[in-house]
Amino acid sequence: MAHRHKFTHKNHLGQTRNSPQARQLRSSQNSLQCLTTPKYSTAQTPVMLATRASTATRLARSFATVVDTKASGIKVAAVDNGQPTTALTFLVKAGSRYEPSPGVAHALKNFAFKSTAKRSTLGTVRESELYGGVLSASLSREYLAFTSEFLRGDESFFTSLLTSILTTPKFLPHEYLEYVVPVVRDEATVASKTPSTVAIEAAHALAFRTGLGASLFAGPHSHVSLDSVKSFSKEAFTSGNIAVVGTGIDSASLATLVDNALAEASLPTANAPLSSSPSKYFGGSTRIDSHEGPETVFIGFGTTTPSPALSVLSAHIAPSQSLKYPTVSRPSTTITPVHLPYSDAVLTGALVQGPDVKSVKEAAKAVVDKLKTPLSAEELKIAVARAKFGAAATVEGREGLMDALGSKVFSNGNASIESTLAAFDTVDAATVSKVIAGLTKTTPTFVVVGNVQTLPYADELGL
Amino acid sequence: MNALGPSLAPYIRSSRSLKQLVTPVAYWYADLMGYRQMGLKYDDLQMEELPQVQRALGRLTPREAYDRAYRMKVSLHSSVLHKPLPKEQWVSAKDDVRYLKPHIEDVIKEDEERTNWDNMIVERK
Repeated sequence: MAHRHKFTHKNHLGQTRNSPQARQLRSSQNSLQCLTTPKYSTAQTPVMLATRASTATRLARSFATVVDTKASGIKVAAVDNGQPTTALTFLVKAGSRYEPSPGVAHALKNFAFKSTAKRSTLGTVRESELYGGVLSASLSREYLAFTSEFLRGDESFFTSLLTSILTTPKFLPHEYLEYVVPVVRDEATVASKTPSTVAIEAAHALAFRTGLGASLFAGPHSHVSLDSVKSFSKEAFTSGNIAVVGTGIDSASLATLVDNALAEASLPTANAPLSSSPSKYFGGSTRIDSHEGPETVFIGFGTTTPSPALSVLSAHIAPSQSLKYPTVSRPSTTITPVHLPYSDAVLTGALVQGPDVKSVKEAAKAVVDKLKTPLSAEELKIAVARAKFGAAATVEGREGLMDALGSKVFSNGNASIESTLAAFDTVDAATVSKVIAGLTKTTPTFVVVGNVQTLPYADELGL
Repeated sequence: MNALGPSLAPYIRSSRSLKQLVTPVAYWYADLMGYRQMGLKYDDLQMEELPQVQRALGRLTPREAYDRAYRMKVSLHSSVLHKPLPKEQWVSAKDDVRYLKPHIEDVIKEDEERTNWDNMIVERK
């Protein structure tokens, strides 16, 4: 089967991408310095200037304007960089934060590419195989995304395929039992055996409780009925709730394609759009016993006021590796930055993982110490550069770009890139220390997964 | 021939006069077969051993599957007793619906579709 199922939050781990800072991408001023140390950058000025100029034009091209389709009223955004493949994503505002009962969004995600009025499950797969396309569905806390990647020229087929998933899904009972339920169960089981996923899920539940706190996975005890999936899809698959994002295609022709596909079977307009109560940060601490995988500690903070200083802070407390292939072997304990921006909240922090409790405890302590000590001018410069590079680099990739465009589309596309870019440059020592002070005043989100008898408590780390 | 066997019904239904002629005979014959007197519906007589029918049976709702098992039990009991059920317990013609047929048709259609895809010849335009 050509299906690829994935959860976007896995991609979030260790990467800063998604909405706000994706938009913070700008001319690569400091970002190029990231792989070299700052002192070399002056020596390389001529080279850098050349690179900067070309990157700037490319980035300018890579931001699309949002277009409303004429007939169907669906928002469309696309970018064409002249690549040989096209990718289309139908973003539906039906992430786990909107689900009426636990696990419904997860089941709906796995109903992607099943029988529709137009073609059967087998037909969907075989026909896309003939075109050489790849179909995938992914679920995040905000969005449900149906994606297809294919060669240029096959746009109309894949647009109509993706549209038919939204307009005429059949939700057959036997497909639910034979195809959907086993995959949902397996994905939930795998997630429950992965300490990093368990920690991030628990952290969301602690930090936001409801809404964003809802798990991405249908747990073993959540009974999801086919009827609840159907009624959720009826609420979610409405014209105001869907946006189409494309790469390798221009907005105008994508808008026409979507209109044509929707002319056959139209989407209903919502009486009341799906809504979730605004996020509120709570925080707290939990310890989860687990004997599989590395010992894991998550230290994080949430806030409902996103600021670029947060991603700078996350780049500071858990820096990504600058040297790709070090000559000395790395310590087995890893510190992964976690920066998860949502439409109305941010969860930021670090995930510490290691084979034994002692080293994890030391590393976690180092993270907390880093959080508590004020940044020097040099450190701030490095952190800002890292954050910028991270933001710019993720938008280079197709997925990062799709996410960036997606959130832009839903926020009506009026947040200009330039303003957010400027916001990044205003990050100075004062704002960062203010953000740190604000964060440390709130209850931290502290999750421990592994050997709960010996892993540290929050106060032992000085939180 | 598939799991449902050959059928003249579509042809007979297509002609109005033929339908008027045959329908009373069909009803009379269905009653004559005697399965209703043993508490069974026509679809209970489908050959369960066929893989298509097995898949179709898996698609019944829990209630349908339970009722089917119950009817089988009742009919087996009356078979042991060598006599039909009391008349008030016979399955009426109204209740004798083809609950399994649509599922078998779906399964056959799916199998056909798979065969078509498997044996498809792709032509480059």
